[in-house]
Amino acid sequence: MASTDAAAGKRRPRPLSPHLGIYKLTMTMAMSIAHRISGAALYVGVLLLAWFLIAASADAATFAVFSEFIGSLIGRLVLFGFSWALFHHLIGGIRHIVWDAGYGLDAPLRDQMAWATLIGGFALTIVVWATGYAVR
Amino acid sequence: MTDNPDNLRTALGRVRFLGSARMGTSDAWLIHVTSLALVPLTVGFVWLMLDLLHTDYNGVRAELGRPVPAILLLAFILSGIVHMEFGMRSIIVDYISGHSRTWALAANTCFAALLALACVYATLRIGFT
Repeated sequence: MASTDAAAGKRRPRPLSPHLGIYKLTMTMAMSIAHRISGAALYVGVLLLAWFLIAASADAATFAVFSEFIGSLIGRLVLFGFSWALFHHLIGGIRHIVWDAGYGLDAPLRDQMAWATLIGGFALTIVVWATGYAVR
Repeated sequence: MTDNPDNLRTALGRVRFLGSARMGTSDAWLIHVTSLALVPLTVGFVWLMLDLLHTDYNGVRAELGRPVPAILLLAFILSGIVHMEFGMRSIIVDYISGHSRTWALAANTCFAALLALACVYATLRIGFT
């Protein structure tokens, strides 16, 4: 709104709605932005899936390049981040569908659901990675 | 606004085309339908990936060459990419304005379409070659 302030000059400042910097950060707000960030991360992360499929559709040497990357430390870290974003966004999405249906919006439950998203996202990630390492 | 004597446009003229494009319902419907579909599809996708974790090139191709994993993977890819195109669209309209918004929206659609085509092409190629 900087442009209107400059043009107005002597005019009385327009009323401003309360925004992020004014409200105290709540758990539901934190999980709201975490949902958006994890979604944006998945947007980029799908490139990894595309690489995997393209490599598997090509010859064995091409697939070996992907295989080597995903098995490396950086590859595992990227995959760990991708899987966390996937599970966090999955549980957050279920929470949003429940809210959109009109349930779970009351004071204690909405915060519990926000906490469940955070904890559930990490828990699912750890369970799936433990399964991945266990079934060799 | 109305007390500015320099502006000769009518109140209706100033606000026309600034509001809703009346596509909100179909957008909301699509993002909800894809998100609901993605709940079981994501579980299936993770299951498939865990299954492929310790296999080699030939094992991956054999598994993805079977009809049920391939079709479920294609369903995951298509609903996922439609969902992410809509999600990024809402991020763009929230944070970007003016001409940059137009370009960002176009880039988003093109990126999503190319990604979908690449994934679908690769999946089908695994199954049919």
